[in-house]
Amino acid sequence: MQSETPLPDTLANLLGLDPSNPLVLFVIAVVASGVIASGLLALVAVSGIWGKRKITAAFTDRIAVNRHGPAGILIIPADALRLLSKELIVPEGVDRPAWDLGPLIMVFSALAGFAVIPMGNGIQIADPETGLAYVFAMASVASLGLVMAGYSSNNKYSFLGGLRAVAQNLAYEIPLILTGMSVALFAGTLRLSEIVAAQSTALFSLGGLAIPSWYAFVNPFAFVLFMVANLAEVGRNPFDIPEAPTEIVAGWQTEYSSVYFVLAYLSEFIHIFLGGAIIATIFLGGPAGPVLPGIVWFLIKIVGIYLFTQWARSAIPRVRIDQLIEIGWKGLLVLAFANLLLTAGIVGVIA
Amino acid sequence: MSLEEPEPSTQLDVGVTDDGLDYDQIEALIDDYVIGRESHVNAEGFVVRPDDVQAVLSTLKTEAGFDFCSCVTAQEYQDRYESIYHLKKYDDPTQEVSVVVPSPRDDPHNQSGADVYETADWHEREAYDLVGIEYDDHPDLRRILLPETWQGHPLSLDYNQDKPQIVPLREHANPLQDDKRSPSDPDTMFVNIGPHHPATHGVLHIKTALDGEQIADLEPDIGYLHRCEEQMCQQGTYRHQIMPYPDRWDYISAGLLNEWAYARAAEDLADIDVPDYAQVIRTMGAEMSRIAAHMLAVSTFALDINGDFTATFMYGIRDREVVQNLLEDLTGQRLMFNYFRLGGVAWDLPEPREEYFEKVRDFVDGLPEKLTEYHDLLTNNEILQMRTVDTGVLPPEDAKSYGATGPVARGSGIDYDLRRDDPYGYYDELDWDVVTEDGCDNFSRLLVRMREVEESAKIIEQCVDLLEDWPEDEREIQANVPRTLRPDPDREIYRAVEGAKGELGIYIRSDGTDKPARFKIRSPCFSNLHTLPTMSEGEYIPDMIASLGSLDIVLGEVDR
Repeated sequence: MQSETPLPDTLANLLGLDPSNPLVLFVIAVVASGVIASGLLALVAVSGIWGKRKITAAFTDRIAVNRHGPAGILIIPADALRLLSKELIVPEGVDRPAWDLGPLIMVFSALAGFAVIPMGNGIQIADPETGLAYVFAMASVASLGLVMAGYSSNNKYSFLGGLRAVAQNLAYEIPLILTGMSVALFAGTLRLSEIVAAQSTALFSLGGLAIPSWYAFVNPFAFVLFMVANLAEVGRNPFDIPEAPTEIVAGWQTEYSSVYFVLAYLSEFIHIFLGGAIIATIFLGGPAGPVLPGIVWFLIKIVGIYLFTQWARSAIPRVRIDQLIEIGWKGLLVLAFANLLLTAGIVGVIA
Repeated sequence: MSLEEPEPSTQLDVGVTDDGLDYDQIEALIDDYVIGRESHVNAEGFVVRPDDVQAVLSTLKTEAGFDFCSCVTAQEYQDRYESIYHLKKYDDPTQEVSVVVPSPRDDPHNQSGADVYETADWHEREAYDLVGIEYDDHPDLRRILLPETWQGHPLSLDYNQDKPQIVPLREHANPLQDDKRSPSDPDTMFVNIGPHHPATHGVLHIKTALDGEQIADLEPDIGYLHRCEEQMCQQGTYRHQIMPYPDRWDYISAGLLNEWAYARAAEDLADIDVPDYAQVIRTMGAEMSRIAAHMLAVSTFALDINGDFTATFMYGIRDREVVQNLLEDLTGQRLMFNYFRLGGVAWDLPEPREEYFEKVRDFVDGLPEKLTEYHDLLTNNEILQMRTVDTGVLPPEDAKSYGATGPVARGSGIDYDLRRDDPYGYYDELDWDVVTEDGCDNFSRLLVRMREVEESAKIIEQCVDLLEDWPEDEREIQANVPRTLRPDPDREIYRAVEGAKGELGIYIRSDGTDKPARFKIRSPCFSNLHTLPTMSEGEYIPDMIASLGSLDIVLGEVDR
């Protein structure tokens, strides 16, 4: 369950190569990252193109795709082909390098965040001491992409969307990270594998069933705070304000078509999964779970959180931008600080 | 109550008697200006000189209590132009008076009424656009429906329909230059919302100047869906050729309500009595239309607030589908019903009747549960309350001045519903209530619609009871109407019904032929949309979108 050795080292050992050789390690790390990224993209393809439609349809009393293959699953290749074969329209007057780089940055920053996530069964590319700080940093880099996309599109709706994205991320990043810090206080480390390990002990026993000391059970308040802030971080209802299709058309995405559109959407889904992965790792015991292998439990947890975002999207109205800022700065930030102080106090008393 | 303060209403009932208005008393009030009297079917008309319009209108408004300018009809005769201001009272719309303003053919102009009634602003712009009368002192006399480069006025007598028109597609203004609509604040940004925008509910274009996220200035630009409906109605015969058009005004399944507007005006014009049985069927069908229209209004409002992929929208569409099927069974159509006829309806209820009644009852019985679900999803949701309470505020005085009607007026606490106040059909025999809310905001308008659905269901249920027990040999669906209808020449009528969006009125002038000489449509959406700038200036973009959704406009009816 705990990551003994990072994945590249394990792979190198399997191939009989020496992991202490930097060149070998580099090549193997690239291969390992490729494997994990491909797995993630496959997950996004299933959940984004097919799963999302089916989930939304279930919430809204519809059927959704059902013509291609069993339960419409073959819509995935069909849609991928359709999206990739569309014309890439580059509007007049866009700020070229920034406009092209925006979606790329969003996708790659979200993917890069997964590098330190322990997914169980030894699947973890690197396990640095500053793992938690790194993963938050990577999740935040996406805001840079949003601003670039919004600002360079030469479209007023995109511009408004970009500005909204910045305002929103500023308002929510801080409570998010503060809440994450309270977990680091409990675990006494930023290394993700150790945070996972700290959650494996039994909290208490309930009729012979050992309840693990997942931080969601230890500190449910922080868990709820984090879930809410995470909805804003990934931009889903009630906080889908940077896109807000009925207000500013599609926000920062308005001018993107074809492959760039795919990248923009891809980044959104990977971002949701990264948010889910962070929550699973620091609150839900990472890959821990009975019977099934760790990676399966990990996937179940992040898909569960994905379902939660879709549920919110189907049922909850969107707040207004000024209300969102207010909730972020006046509500969540205060609560996050209170939580942090409380945690520090408790940890201080116990330790 | 102190004796020193006389109630305002006691001052404002000049000429009010138990058997209708005493027009002589009203005439005495504006005696200095009246140069003639006309008798219209719905009300007396006072002919006044073009320079006295403002004086007459403001006297009638402030001293006789005519606080509602329902419509401004403009038309051209062989020897003159004429504007008619149809005035009413919100307290009692059966008290009507017309102010008829003739102006010379060679230079048609008269004083504008926009100073007295805000709503006259847009109505006069339309009159200028289509008929060609100039209004002096008008705040902004531009074309409203046709493109600004249009040559001629299509409803004037000497208009050449074959003349080619050039409508240039102008480039958008450079987003960074000449863009500051508000000189006092150089930081504003101009944005076109629409005509292609996810939340404009059709081809509406809103010219918006933004100050950050707030609306500094806003102007609705309409006319993209103008289809010359008035002119087409003037080219059709009364008996059969006009009835299909009303379905195409408010096409959000409010078709039967629109058809009733024409049926009522034309039947009163030609003195046709509709059999009771047909009136009950009409009432039932019309309320089904209202439910379908309100369901769509509520669910698209949810779409505006929640964003796409919301469950509420699909729930609304799912439940609307049931009533849509009932209407299809009744009329044979789902969208363009064409079910009413002058003097009755096209055919009796579908056979077997019991089966149809059962279906209707199932729908009505299932409604409360569905509405509870909507209330759970919408009105009880705190985020939605945060978004809609106290946003898009329309005070009752503004609502009256802009001529707002329907759920928009009732959401501002104005107790005005033609079904009760100016009864037609079978409404006055049935037991139901007019819904009003005093919040004046987006939330109130949403609540009014949702509660009106319940009231409509009550009406439908009573209609079904009546129809079930109706003796078989008295099921008369159609009065005796001449094959070719030629109302007496020079009869004029303005009649309105309570459409899904508000007061849908029709003015018809007959000239002795089988086609109307002038057919004017008073669209509730047109007047309701005029309130948008009042509601939205200074608010945030999302609130403007919510207000637009709460107005529930249909561009087919706004542009006609």
